[in-house]
Order: sequence, then structure tokens, then C-alpha cells
Amino acid sequence: MKQYRTMALPYIVWMAGMIVAPMLLIVLYAFTDKGNDVATIRFSLENFARFFSDQVFMSVLKRSLFIAVITTAICILCGYPIAYVIANRSEKSKLFWILLITLPTWINMLVRTYAWMGILQDEGIINHLLSLVGLGPITMIHTSFAVVLGMVYNFIPFMILQIYTSLTKMDKSYLEAASDLGANRIQSFLRVTLPLSIPGVISGITLVFLPAVSSFFIPKLLGGGQYVLIGNVIETEFLTSGDWNFGSAISLVMAIIILFSMYLTKKADTDPAANGKENA
Amino acid sequence: MEKKQKHLFSKVLLGCTAVFFYAPILYIILFSFNSSRSLTKFAGFSLRWYEKMLSDSTMMQAVAYTIIIALLATLISTVVGTLTAIGLSKSRRLMRGIVEQVNNLPILNPEIVTGIGLLMFFSALGVKKGFLTLLLAHVMFCIPYVILSVTPKLRSLDPNLADAALDLGATPIQALWKVIVPQIRPGIISGALIAFTMSFDDFIISYFVTGNGVNNISILVYTMSKRVNPSINALSTLVILLITAVLFIVNIIPILKDKKGRKLT
Amino acid sequence: MKKLIALALGTAVLLSGCGGSADSDAAEKYGSATLKLYNWGEYVGENLISDFEQEFGVKVIMEYFDSNEMMYTKLQAGDAYDVLIPSDYMIERLISEDMLQTLDLSNIPNISNLAEGVKQLPYDPDNTYSVPYFWGNVGIVYNHNNVDPADVEKQGYNLLLDTDYKGKLYVYDSERDSFMMALKALGYSMNTQSESEIEEAYNWLLQMNDTMDPAYVTDEVIDGMINGNKDIAVVYSGDATTILAENEDMSFFLPAEGTNLWSDAMVVPANAENPLLAHEFINYVLTHDASYDNSETVGYSSSNQEVLDEMSGADGIYAQNEAYLPRTEYAKDEVFEDNPVLKQKLAELWIKVKASH
Repeated sequence: MKQYRTMALPYIVWMAGMIVAPMLLIVLYAFTDKGNDVATIRFSLENFARFFSDQVFMSVLKRSLFIAVITTAICILCGYPIAYVIANRSEKSKLFWILLITLPTWINMLVRTYAWMGILQDEGIINHLLSLVGLGPITMIHTSFAVVLGMVYNFIPFMILQIYTSLTKMDKSYLEAASDLGANRIQSFLRVTLPLSIPGVISGITLVFLPAVSSFFIPKLLGGGQYVLIGNVIETEFLTSGDWNFGSAISLVMAIIILFSMYLTKKADTDPAANGKENA
Repeated sequence: MEKKQKHLFSKVLLGCTAVFFYAPILYIILFSFNSSRSLTKFAGFSLRWYEKMLSDSTMMQAVAYTIIIALLATLISTVVGTLTAIGLSKSRRLMRGIVEQVNNLPILNPEIVTGIGLLMFFSALGVKKGFLTLLLAHVMFCIPYVILSVTPKLRSLDPNLADAALDLGATPIQALWKVIVPQIRPGIISGALIAFTMSFDDFIISYFVTGNGVNNISILVYTMSKRVNPSINALSTLVILLITAVLFIVNIIPILKDKKGRKLT
Repeated sequence: MKKLIALALGTAVLLSGCGGSADSDAAEKYGSATLKLYNWGEYVGENLISDFEQEFGVKVIMEYFDSNEMMYTKLQAGDAYDVLIPSDYMIERLISEDMLQTLDLSNIPNISNLAEGVKQLPYDPDNTYSVPYFWGNVGIVYNHNNVDPADVEKQGYNLLLDTDYKGKLYVYDSERDSFMMALKALGYSMNTQSESEIEEAYNWLLQMNDTMDPAYVTDEVIDGMINGNKDIAVVYSGDATTILAENEDMSFFLPAEGTNLWSDAMVVPANAENPLLAHEFINYVLTHDASYDNSETVGYSSSNQEVLDEMSGADGIYAQNEAYLPRTEYAKDEVFEDNPVLKQKLAELWIKVKASH
């Protein structure tokens, strides 16, 4: 099977050029002072010091991670049952539902977020409906609720897709074996289905958590300008203050924190099926 | 009884899912018919935004570019990503670990960082910005999603199958195409779907790598800085209709053919 | 799959084919028959571009930006355009970095149409590099049913600290305009470099943030005020024109403490490929019809005096609109100067204001 190894080579070369090279530029920016050009590079840790010594940035970082964790948790809790139900439907119905869930993501994110703004507005549809039954109005726009809702709406399709993928074409013989051995439905779900779908959940976490930490359009529109997340800070540094050095430093810090937490997540996934195949 | 309850549960769940996903979509469609410019207050029915959209040649061109780029980027990244994932699954653990982490970078980096990184990269190379740079950039950020989707399927794949095929005299390519690919197809499909989505909706990276009048829909939407107007809703409605129609045809034609075929036999 | 590729390639060929409606006469006259225009999104008259293309037999390639800094980033990377339309302070920066060409005013005879208010702007007093496109002020839009006009006139920007209106205000999410407002409220220059004055302004903004529960928005403010979601907003006069035109409960006020007099102007970058046609375009924008089209579509104040008079005159479409005609010759109004160090500092302080909850 080693003959397939070479298939990864072109991408590794490409990765070095298109991903690693630009990333090195960012690293260079992060560790240097402002205003230097190639001739006069001066290395410094000042950008990092500035970031870590500032209470406001620390609380922004904490808040971003918190919102991303909540979003990811909701996506798993809601996405898993949806994916499970879909995966157990007939072939045609499966396809229908998967496309139904993917279709909205082909509409521009800004347009979708504007629609949520309209729906969540103080005088929007939800409050209008609430007032008909004598409730409300509830302030939803410019709250954490709106931000999390917007993020879940945008990212949950990826979670559902990943979990659904790992649930379909799962070897049904495992399940049959489990029930032959006297396991009931819940037991065989917990012992067989769930562990086998964990790789899908992990991919799903990557696809939800990573973009959720760095997103800035959703908090800006649904949370209002006062809802500053780390993505907004980076965007401001690059596009408003033009301080690429500081912006690079922040995104580097963020990248390291996240890569490390993803590494831990993967480590926690002690899927025996995967380890067994290591030497194949 | 238990079965009925389960049935009910899954119906309610899917019903809620549909409402959640499509409430904003209905809202978008509704406002495409708004007679005023507002995206949040409905003033009356009109088709003026459809007229504006159709008469706006920049917008129609952007639609074409968006679709072409998305199709090509999806195609290329799905093929490359799948092959890479298969190759990686047979590689040494260290190599695989490194590549998987680096692979996460484009997903995790704020788009602005990737965008500016690529802007500097292309400028340093002196490439003329436009269709090609846009396509390259899209392929670059789509591949990681494909790899991420295909990898979990590969992990639950029985390696003995491919070995058996090889032992029985299949060439590696035959074994790949006839044995491995069918097993990981759901992962490939979901990777392709995600790649298409990412390419279709990308703004920031596209913004910094394109030039010479090659715009996509997102660039037009996000730079409507003075005021986003409902012609975007009209466009979205059109996109929904178009995609629904394609899906409908793709799904219905095989069924019809199937029926015809059965009648003949 | 093969069909898909064929389809994609076919469409690509079709696209590249339909681009060339430019004629060869124009190519001979200007060197090339395409003009690359880099402008704000939704910032041009409905028919201006197609009329220009027809009249001169050329093709205009449009690209858009939504912040001066975005545009600047692409320019720095070496992207070439023929005409750009940045704002005042950015033009000042581009001039100081030698990124612009000097204009040959003999090729722009319509420069004589310029409005009085945009003549001799401090960043380019003799129009050596730039020709104004749109201009205006920043002021307060308020709902005169819920906010006492006497309060507005008496308090000026300090209205934004009046807790009677807590939770009722939109603040434009931009460090420059917010600090402008705070500095003006305190009686300082908005271009100040004094640490202590900036510190005071920072505290003014913190107080607003902590006591008033403001919503920080950008362009959503237009829809928000038209729908009457809030009672007070600080906005660009051009946006105020739109708001006032669509919601008659709204009024516009320019505080006595002074405000920002801004302008966006057309410039030709040093690396432009078709400077001759660029001059032709700039000249064309200054004609009565083009300027009228621009101002009518976008709602911003025209840089053409005749159009400005016509639109704000008794029979004009903005006759009753108090936001359309910018305030000029008012001693306390200022134009932003370019100061990257200051801008960066303000940007960081502004994030801290917003994030301090």
C-alpha cells in the first residue's frame, strides 16, 4: 500500500508554497517592529508584550474562545441528532435532506445575516408574533444570543455534514453483532455507533470551532460594534490602523492556542479502530 | 408504540430544522420584492430590484465568475484533496501529523491574514491578478476542507480490502478507483459540498487576490458600502431557484429514465 | 464531470468575449480603450458609466472597496488602476508617498464647474492631484417627535451623554468620527496630537459607552433610522439626506462646536495605464448631467456648483432636505489630516472603548 504515499507529495509541495510561505511572512511581521523594510529588520517581542499586558485584549480573547466553545457545543448537541435522523432515512430522503441543509449556505453570508437582523429586530417578526400572544417585546439584536444564533446558523451545516458522513455506510455488521450479543438499542448506540462516529464529530468541531473564533462579520452585525471579538481586533489592526505587525502577532497567538487545543482534542480521541490501522 | 414515538420525534426534529434553516431564506425572498430600498422594512410589492439586477452587467458577470470559480475550485480541490488524504493515510504518522496541522491553518487563520499573505505572495511573484490568482487561492483554501472530510472515512476503512484487490491482480489505480473510492464516497461528497460553499461565499481572500475587473458576488455585496440594496436579495432568490432547478432535474431525470426503462422490459 | 468542465470553460470564453465592446478609434486616441476605475461600492450614478462608455467608445472595468485602507493595501501591492476615489486624508497620504500623478488641468476644462465649498481644500489646494467627487459633513440625525430640538441645539454632541436618551442612540463605528465628536464636544481640534486632549476624549467616549448603552453600527444605521429604531444617530450628511428623504420624523443638525468637512476626490495613481482616458473620465464626471445623475442616485452632495444649487433650490429633489447642502466657511469645521501614528492610536483606544463592558 505504500505506493499511494506519493499521492500526497504534490499537495505537500503546494502547501509549502501557498500556505507555509505566506504564514512565514506573518510570523516575520509578528516578531518585528513597525516600519522596517527588508534592509533594516529589527526583531522584537514588543507586539506580544503589548497584547498580553493589556487587560482589554485578554478579556476579548477570553470572550471569543467562550463564544466559540458555546457555538461548537450547540452545533454538536443539535447537529448530532439531526445527522442521526437523516442518516437513518431512505436513500432518496437522505439526499434530499442533506441538500436542503446545504442549500442555504450557498447564499451570501452577509445577506443571510441581514435577514437575521431583520428577524431579531426589536420590531421584527419574532417580536411581532410574540406581541400577538401578549408577550414581549424581547431585545434580541445586539446580544450574545444573537451572535451565537448567527454563528450556529452559519456553521452547523458543516457539523451535520461531517457527522452524517461518518454515520452513513457505517458497517452495519457491527450493529448486528451487538444486538446478537444482547445489547439493547441504547447500549449498541453508546458502544458501537457513537465511537465510530467520533472522527466525524472531530472534523465537525474543526469546521465549526476554528471559523467561529476568528469570525468578525457576524458579531459586528448581530452583536453590534460593541461586541468586540478577537477577529474584529485583527481585522481592525489590518484594515483600519494598518498595523500589520500587531495584527500578525495577535493572529499568531490565536493560531497557536487553537492548534494546541485541536491537538488535545485529537489526542483525546482514542479511537481503537484508527490506531489499529497505523501500520497497514 | 416505541417505533411510532421515534418516528414522531424524527419528524418534529426535521420540521424544526427546516424552519430554522429556511426562515431567513424566506425573509430574503420576501425582501427581493420590496418596493423600497430597505432590507428590514417591507414597503410594498415591486420587481424593480430584479430589473436592476438584470440590467447590471457587472453583477451578471460576477455571477458567472462566482459559479465558474466555484465549480473549478471544487473539482480540483476534491480530486487533489482526496488523493492527498489517501496518500497521507498510508504515510508515516509524523508526516501525517505535521501535514494535518498545517492543513488546519487556512481554516483557522482569520481570512484577512490568509488574504494579505496571498496578496503579498502573488505580488512578490509578479503574477497578474485576476481569474487565475483567484482560482489558485480558492483551490488553496478549499483543499483543507476536502482533506478534513475524507480523512475520517479513511480511518474507518478496512485496509485489507485494498490489499486483497492488489493480491488478486488489480493495479493500484484499479484498487483505488474500484475499492477505496466507493468506500469513502460520502466523505468525498461532503468535502466537495463544503468546498463549493466556501468558494461560493468567500469575500476577503478573493478581494485581495483578484484584480482586473474579475469580481465575485461576495465582493459586490460586501463593498456595497453605502447601502446594501435588495438587488442582492433578487440575486439570491435567483441563485436558490437555479440550484433548486438543477437539483430537481438531476434527481428527477434518473427516476423518469428508470420508469421508462422498466416499462420497456 | 467532463460536461461540467466543458460548461465552465465555455462560459469563460463567452465572458471574455462579451467584454470587448470598445472601439478602435478610442484605442488609437487614448492608447487603450479601457479605463480601470476603483471606487466605493454603490457610489456612482445609475447611468453614468454606461453613458460614458457609449459617448467615448470605451470600456470601463469597475472594482470596488469599502474602506480607504482596503484600497491602500491593494495599491501598495502594486495593483494598477486609472482612477481612484479615496477620501481627503488618504489622498494626503498618497501624495506624500508619491503614489499619484499630477493632473493636467488643461485636459479637465470642467474643473470650472467645481462647487465653492470644495475649492482650495487643504490637502490639495490647487487641484494638482485631485478633483472632488462628493463631499459633506458629519452631523446628528434625530427624531424630532421624541427628542426636543432645543436639547439638540443646546447640547450639541453632549446630547450623546444625556441619559434622558439612554439606549436610544446609534454611534457610527469608526474611530475617527467618534474621536472627532468627543474632541469637538470638549472644544478641541479633531486633528489634535496632544496626549492629554486625546485622553480626555477617550474618557468622554468611555462615559458615553458606560452610561448611554449606545449601539455601534456602520451602514445599517441608514435602515435603522429610516425604520425609526432609535432616536439619535451621528451620521455622514449624505446618509442623513437619504434618511430624511425617507422618514419625515427625522431632522438633521450640525453642532455649533464644529464638525468634520470631508470630501472624496478622483485621483490618478502613478502607475495608471491609461492616464489620458482617466483625465477624460474626471472631466466627464464634472459635467452637469453626470454630476446630477451621481447626486440623484447616491444622495450625497455634488461637487458641481450648478447641480448643488439646482438640487437644493426650490424645485430641486432635495429642496426641503436640510442635510443635503453642507455647511461651509464655518471656522470650527475642519478637514481630517493624515497622521498614521495618531490614527493607529485612536483605533486602539476605540476598540478599548467598545470592549469595555
